[in-house]
Amino acid sequence: MLKLNLFLLFLVGVNAGEQINSYLIYKNVDRSIDLTSQLVKITSTITLENAGKDPIKNFLVVDEPKSDGKVVYRGVKDSAKQDLNLLPVQVDGSDNKFHKVVLRQNLEPGRTATVVLEEIIAKGLAPYPSSISQKEKQLVRYFGNHYIYTPYTVAKQKTDVVLSSRSVENYTKLKPVTQSDNTITYGPYTDIKPYTEDQLVVHFENNAPFLTVTRLERVIEISHWGNVAIEEQIEIKHTGAKLKGPFSRYDYQRDTSSSHHSIKSYTTVLPATAHSIYYRDSNGNISTSSVKHRKDWIELELRPRFPLFGGWQSSYTLGYSVPSYQYLYRTPEGQNVLSMRFIDHVFDDMFVEEATTSIVLPVGVSDVQLIVPYQVEKLQDDITYKYLDNMGRKVLRMRKNDLVEQHIQDLEITYSWQPQLLLHEPLLISLALFILFVAVIIWVRLDFSLGVPEHSKKE
Amino acid sequence: MLGFSKKTTAQPQNAEKQETLLTLTILTLAAILSFATRLFSVLRFESVIHEFDPYFNYRTTKYLAEQGFYSFHNWFDDRAWYPLGRIIGGTIYPGLMVTSAAFYHLCWLLNITIDIRNVCVFLAPLFSSFTTIITYLLTKEVKNSGAGLVAAAFVSIVPGYISRSVAGSYDNEGIAIFCMLLTYYTWIKAVKTGTILWGTLSALAYFYMVSSWGGYVFLINLIPLHVLTLMVTGRFGHRIYIAYSTLYCVGTILSMQISFVGFQPVQSSEHILALGVFGLCQIVAFVDYIRSKLSKSDFETLYQFLIYTVGLLTVTVGGVLTISGKISPWTGRFYSLLDPSYAKNHIPIIASVSEHQPTSWSSFYFDLQILVFLFPAGLYFCFKQLTDSNIFLILYGITSIYFAGVMVRLMLVLAPIMCILSGITISHLLTKFMKNMDTPKQSEHKKYKKTEANASFRSEISSIFVVVVTVLLISYTFHCTWVTSEAYSSPSIVLSARSHDGGRIIFDDFREAYYWLKMNTPEDARIMSWWDYGYQITAMANRTILVDNNTWNNTHISRVGQAMASTEEKAYEIMKELDVDYVLVIFGGLTGYSSDDINKFLWMVRIGGSTDRGAHIKEWDYYSPNGEFRVDKEGSQTLLNCLMYKMCYYRFGQVYTEGGKPPGYDRVRGAEIGNKDFELDVLEEAYTTEHWLVRIYKVKDLPNRGV
Repeated sequence: MLKLNLFLLFLVGVNAGEQINSYLIYKNVDRSIDLTSQLVKITSTITLENAGKDPIKNFLVVDEPKSDGKVVYRGVKDSAKQDLNLLPVQVDGSDNKFHKVVLRQNLEPGRTATVVLEEIIAKGLAPYPSSISQKEKQLVRYFGNHYIYTPYTVAKQKTDVVLSSRSVENYTKLKPVTQSDNTITYGPYTDIKPYTEDQLVVHFENNAPFLTVTRLERVIEISHWGNVAIEEQIEIKHTGAKLKGPFSRYDYQRDTSSSHHSIKSYTTVLPATAHSIYYRDSNGNISTSSVKHRKDWIELELRPRFPLFGGWQSSYTLGYSVPSYQYLYRTPEGQNVLSMRFIDHVFDDMFVEEATTSIVLPVGVSDVQLIVPYQVEKLQDDITYKYLDNMGRKVLRMRKNDLVEQHIQDLEITYSWQPQLLLHEPLLISLALFILFVAVIIWVRLDFSLGVPEHSKKE
Repeated sequence: MLGFSKKTTAQPQNAEKQETLLTLTILTLAAILSFATRLFSVLRFESVIHEFDPYFNYRTTKYLAEQGFYSFHNWFDDRAWYPLGRIIGGTIYPGLMVTSAAFYHLCWLLNITIDIRNVCVFLAPLFSSFTTIITYLLTKEVKNSGAGLVAAAFVSIVPGYISRSVAGSYDNEGIAIFCMLLTYYTWIKAVKTGTILWGTLSALAYFYMVSSWGGYVFLINLIPLHVLTLMVTGRFGHRIYIAYSTLYCVGTILSMQISFVGFQPVQSSEHILALGVFGLCQIVAFVDYIRSKLSKSDFETLYQFLIYTVGLLTVTVGGVLTISGKISPWTGRFYSLLDPSYAKNHIPIIASVSEHQPTSWSSFYFDLQILVFLFPAGLYFCFKQLTDSNIFLILYGITSIYFAGVMVRLMLVLAPIMCILSGITISHLLTKFMKNMDTPKQSEHKKYKKTEANASFRSEISSIFVVVVTVLLISYTFHCTWVTSEAYSSPSIVLSARSHDGGRIIFDDFREAYYWLKMNTPEDARIMSWWDYGYQITAMANRTILVDNNTWNNTHISRVGQAMASTEEKAYEIMKELDVDYVLVIFGGLTGYSSDDINKFLWMVRIGGSTDRGAHIKEWDYYSPNGEFRVDKEGSQTLLNCLMYKMCYYRFGQVYTEGGKPPGYDRVRGAEIGNKDFELDVLEEAYTTEHWLVRIYKVKDLPNRGV
């Protein structure tokens, strides 16, 4: 199924040599650039207008060639807040990377439609200065574009840049521009030609946690006794401004202000039914964590062993179990379906550089099918042995780079499995014990010595 | 079953079966108890390795389990003793690691996917269960099965043994006590039967013991002593000759296979008794043989000639070998066994270890409780019925009580024999008095009126006695459990304290610091700390260290001591010489953790000053004019300006630690520190843990030219 999907995707990607429809114009663009966290979140509300004579089925979104950072997520919704499909395409005579958005309804001549384009850019904020001492504030620079980068003409555009604090060192002043509180408003600009670029720079204070998950290994283990065990090995790194000079515990303890560039703790959200939670590293349990039960989820406040300053890293293992009835069900055809998240929440506004997810299936499965929510790299299947497994368990492994919260989506695994196999291991133990007891009985009851037994001498 | 057997034979057979069942039940319960009582720390904290040495054992075990025996055997460890390194395979007793790795692989073979850490954590409790069983067998062999059961019950919870075998205390002693008792059991069997089979088994057990603990020296002196005593008391015969010759020959050859032991069994003076007794055995046996063949007068002439020749030869050969250095002189640890004050006067590094201190009287009671009183009675019962095996128990008891008095650590060797002898006492007394309790019941039926006053009196006394013994035993149980839970179950890597509102505060600073080192220092960073923390740093932070708990190189440790005791400039030279990148100190002044580096500091001064290069470091410079060791204004200027002081108290002068006290009040020393406002020139604070328990400093690079 996965292979088929990928194959289809591949076909679409190669076949389409698209043309840019010059009759389509952006009548109005409202852009909001959210710089309050470590991620750059650009939400553009675009009003499309068909100035031509033919109905328009789709429009193109283009990657900005010279931008800092990496677009890790892009999503388009229509006015009814329904997701529209994005397909990578190539345009003749252009090196830019294009994505085709297929509209739900054709845009008739003279009509307008509104779509919302959401883009999330990781590593788009560069700490400047790149290393600071413990007492200094963390300043970052954002390099962007005053105009929306698009192959179409834009009739009118306005941009709001939302910052995390009022203290702004510097920003480019392309008039008209106003600053109020922590928002800088650019525009409205009118009649912008396609592919217009003009650098937008904002240099401002941002003490949000610049925490990157450099590596996440997630293992989901299914037990048909009614449990799904999840273990995540997480490596984190503070990717903000590096700490320059000494770390003083005294100053750190005296500084009680809530906004500091170091990271003391963060919150991980787990499913509401999670139990048997553990939080440890290679040296044992990390005793600084607390669990709060909310109505629909569990909040886990995790404190790394030490506060993280710029350039410092840490790693830990977080594990928990959830009852399987919420995630595992049987289809009428007798197939088992597990639907689980590919990755789960680590902290708010997270950025995961590399995630590997393994699914340990029960003993003796067959017909395994996998449906993934987005494109992932499928790794070689593995075999693992857990408690008392004399037959191995199949492990499905997948990898994907650059994930954010929007990637917390379910993947589905369908497989066939005989419920009798549940009794395999208990029977094995019983048999082993039985053999042991029989052996002992034989050993005790019978005389194996080569000498003549004493009682026979007497008799 | 009953239906098939005849009525006449059913009775004794049933009684026998009942007895077996009872014995098995009691023994199983004792074994389970001995496992369970050692789990306090796992339940309170977690399944974690304790203290210092166990971390090294854990690290090596992990290496063995992952890399296999050959690479373990050839392992050159460059993480320790920078720049010297250490050949791990040739400098350890591998028994413990091999045992754990074997368990680990066995479990995996059976598809029990256990973590190697858990194998290590639970190995000591498991082996104490085995000890319980072997104690039963040994006592049963010497006395009877009743005494064996009591002894097994005693040994399962005796604090003197628990102190070294709680879950997580993954040390050689954990399995060595089992090996020792196993050797004794097989030895007694060999003495009793006089077969080569048991002699060889005993040699195998001895080999296991040698492979697991340096304390085997005690064993290889005790068994010859036993043989010697038997010889002197005229109990020497073929049985003992066979038993000892087999044990010595096979055992010695086997023990030389351990590369750490090497040729010591034939070269060092610690093993000379065994060799001597072996020779003596041959002579005595030979003499006995000759005597049976010759006439009396001929025999005496030959005898005198032989005595003189052999004596002369022994002295000459021994002298030549000693002078030529083939027989190594006795090591310091051995001298300190014979003369408790030896170490203090001569080798500071031995004296600085707390477990090498002489035992105080109170700790005897603390670790053994009623066994202390039952032990002499047990000795008495042994003397009353002298047999070959009883003599062994007496010798074991007397020698080990001496050694336990010399060194706290050897309490471990004493604990089992205390239990065995006390088991004999209790079982002997109870058997006697229990009989008396039964008699009046029979007389009640038959001769109710004629009951003698004496008899009824006797039964009451017996009852009272039994009750008293019961109370004593119950108190022993409570005492042991209390001691285990209060004194011996703290992992010492995680500290816990009670807060004012009764809640538990956890100080996890050690692991915090080690993990910081692991995560945020370069892979090849060299860390200087006092040797106590060496094993923990290599195991938990995986960084290179200069000195560790394997105190084999005195000068290197001394160099580190000198750096700690010098001023910043002098220390900088030493640190640059040793390529140090980070320095780690333990500081308890904020929390009141008393075994920190300032309290250990005098040992650093002494050890630092004990070599030539540190001759300028004199202990007296670090005392105040009144001869006290103080950190406040009265303290000596040398102390207030040395590197250790500065590292511990850097910026501490501004901290308020206790209400009503000035800032910079040290809660361990109970004083306001004397040198408050200073800056560090050659170091910078790299990390300090949450409760300031561990402070890590980075050694600055040499300044650029012309700056």
